[in-house]
Amino acid sequence: MKGTVAIIERELPALLRMKQTLWIFAIVALTFSATVLLKWPSTSTADLSGIQARAVFRGLAYAMFVTVVLVVPAFPATGLIREVRRWTMELLLNSPLRRSDIFFGKLIALAAFATLLLAVTLPAMACCYAMGAISPTHDVLGLYGLLGVICIELIVLGLLIGTIAETAESGLRWVYGATFALTVIAIIPHMFLQGGDSNYAMIASHMRTLSPIPALLQLVGDETPGATGAIESVDLISRYVASAIVLSLVGSLICIQRLNYSLMDRSRSQGLITDERSRSLRAARRVMYLVDPQKRKSGISWFLNPVMVKEFRSRQFGRLHWLLRMVAGCAVMSLLLTLATTMGTLDWGVEKVGGIMIVAQVGLILVLTPGISGAMIAGEMESGGWNMLRATPLSTRRVVSGKLMSVSITLALVLCASLPGYGIIMVIKPVLQTQVAQVIVSLALTAAVAMLVSATVSSFFRSTAAATTVSYGLLIFLYAGSMLVWINRDSPFSHAVVQRVLSANAMAGALNAMEVDGFRVYDGLLGTTWIVSGVMCGVLLLVLSVRTWRLWEPD
Amino acid sequence: MNSEVSPVVEINGLTKQFGEFVALDQLSLTLNKGSILGFIGPNGAGKTTAIRILVGLTRPTAGTARIAGADCVRDARKVRRLVGYMPDKFGSYDNMRVREYLDFFGAAFGIGRRKRQLRISEVLEVTNATWMQDRFVESLSHGMQQRIGIARTLLHDPEVLILDEPANGLDPQARIEMREILLRLAAEGRTLIVTSHILPELARICDRVAILADGQLKAFGTLQDVSRALSQRRTMEIELLDTDRVAAVAAELRSSLEEECEVTPSEAESVVRFRTSADEEKLSGLLSKLVTGGERISQFREVAGDLEEVFISVTQQASEEQTENADKSASVVETAS
Repeated sequence: MKGTVAIIERELPALLRMKQTLWIFAIVALTFSATVLLKWPSTSTADLSGIQARAVFRGLAYAMFVTVVLVVPAFPATGLIREVRRWTMELLLNSPLRRSDIFFGKLIALAAFATLLLAVTLPAMACCYAMGAISPTHDVLGLYGLLGVICIELIVLGLLIGTIAETAESGLRWVYGATFALTVIAIIPHMFLQGGDSNYAMIASHMRTLSPIPALLQLVGDETPGATGAIESVDLISRYVASAIVLSLVGSLICIQRLNYSLMDRSRSQGLITDERSRSLRAARRVMYLVDPQKRKSGISWFLNPVMVKEFRSRQFGRLHWLLRMVAGCAVMSLLLTLATTMGTLDWGVEKVGGIMIVAQVGLILVLTPGISGAMIAGEMESGGWNMLRATPLSTRRVVSGKLMSVSITLALVLCASLPGYGIIMVIKPVLQTQVAQVIVSLALTAAVAMLVSATVSSFFRSTAAATTVSYGLLIFLYAGSMLVWINRDSPFSHAVVQRVLSANAMAGALNAMEVDGFRVYDGLLGTTWIVSGVMCGVLLLVLSVRTWRLWEPD
Repeated sequence: MNSEVSPVVEINGLTKQFGEFVALDQLSLTLNKGSILGFIGPNGAGKTTAIRILVGLTRPTAGTARIAGADCVRDARKVRRLVGYMPDKFGSYDNMRVREYLDFFGAAFGIGRRKRQLRISEVLEVTNATWMQDRFVESLSHGMQQRIGIARTLLHDPEVLILDEPANGLDPQARIEMREILLRLAAEGRTLIVTSHILPELARICDRVAILADGQLKAFGTLQDVSRALSQRRTMEIELLDTDRVAAVAAELRSSLEEECEVTPSEAESVVRFRTSADEEKLSGLLSKLVTGGERISQFREVAGDLEEVFISVTQQASEEQTENADKSASVVETAS
């Protein structure tokens, strides 16, 4: 117990002393207070039905959930990796502290940090409660309790990933990927298989309880995903809490098990290469692999940008065999989307399905892009590769274009996965062909903006983790922030203000083109978003070029 | 004009200021083809600044630096092709095999694919690193990475190699291998500029040393010249055929030379060493006196200066000058007040 306290005493002040902590707390407090204030009744008429108060509560609950999901997992993963890389973990393991002391010390410190983060939202919640129609036990305590459980689960997940990943950057990528899988992907099978009697349908139904989203929706009284109009009879909150406790316990045990000296041992590949293996093995591998990852590569061709090839080769999943796997994965996803479009079109209508697809794709772009392009310049600075590049006769233009090409090709592959889904939409409703083309342009612009924001941010930092985090923050501010204004479109924001804010969001343009409810009313929004996104791309490209040129030139 | 003796590196009045701080102050030196220059100095002496100017990464405040006639600022692109630069930080890329790593840099230098493959094999051969060509760069030990670093600098066949701390963190075996590689490269006619903190190692390979302290060049030349120029006294050694005469010769030296002369007899080696400020004429007279006195001398020679000794002497002088300057400015302030 003493050991645990010692770790808490070291960890918690260190977390609270970080500059980012102050910023996060301040932004969360201000945003949440603003969210409630914006919805505060301005007329003297009392809303006896409580509809408005419930709507505010729902908005607040979703915002709190998004904050928790975005903020909480990053700290445990990167903190543990940094500790391993700075060898302070070895000192801890060499001390009389038990592994469980180290683990629980970190867990409790991070949980205290998450509690403080939730505590910052209390004034907003108090205002919301003052509006009425909210139960203090079921709604308020229930929400904080549920978010507490989510925090613990995400902290354990982050610590576990921290024992696996080798760099802070890959740790961030993995932890956000795992969080996305746990919260979003876990509910997708149920959306397709709902109502069926098969074993698959049953497994999918159980699988969705791993995600906190259905539990949250049930708590705030919203329709759960996949529940097409029917009232959900299953207690999703209890099921989620049970699954989260089990997962956290299992994760904790694995994590404690992994907290040993092997964390400091990095396996060294012996450089096995197919070209030097037996003829039979070479033949077998030729059959097994389309692109053998262990085959010696031929040199970079003269027509290729060497920086682009280097980016693909040095990226964790950038090699050709991984890209092929990604294309295959995207093809599967595309088939699922096609199925969803076909089924959904019948139930919900083309526009709603189109809207869901657009939001899902933008979500995917926003999750992927900072992870890839956030390391563009900052990663080179961090590794010392930048000075080596500067010592070559390459020009800045060639370096930047090579790096941007490597990101844009990856994003293009991801976007292409959605094309069959839109194809189905066009078959069902041929009149939408132009709109679909407009949506694709908007998505491409979203990808371009996301890529250039991350790349430009990357040129201002010397640490990849910092650049990636700031990129995520800016993109969320740009895309989720403008949607927050859209949510408050009736009051206090006027139609004109909302339209002006949405003009910076190419996703809103795509939703407008698809004539999704709530976006149809903004005339000319699509064109404006294209112009604004185009200008943003131009400006960002200019800033990136100037910044890179300055970094490239002699000091 | 004989290219073998033509200056390859010409540095003239090179100065670099960062605000008020003078990182490099009027550095001037020339280096001929095939030389190995040991660039030494305490931390913050300005070595890395000088190197960064030479490879075009930093712009000097004043002065010029030329490599094979190309100006390091105006012809920076040309200089990059003439220089192979290995920074103190290796700069590896994850998930890349050694051959791919070299292939990328070869392509960056615009070497054609076929020629590049041959060149990669050659440089791996030169650095004894062929066996690690399929290994992942980040999985290599520090010593192995240093060898790959040198292989990378050789890819475009540069005239001048600038290596920042190549022996840093290497074990003795790896250091010996590194030394052999560097000597082989110099024998090929390349000019090398090497910085290191491991002075005995540097003394073994360098034919020139430049000592920097507080941004100023304190000494430049062969190790012996530098040692003689910096140290007031030199170490001489007399080897005798008769071991039993060691004590007598030592006594004779004490009586003949100046009072502060340090005489160290070693009967086991049959040698008498002494440190003296006597000039050549006086030493010649001493030798005649000993020989005519019947001493059987097999060797009478100057012992080469120790780089560590020279380095400490220079840095001590520099710190003394610094203290003196600080005292002077303090007394000026006092007088003024």
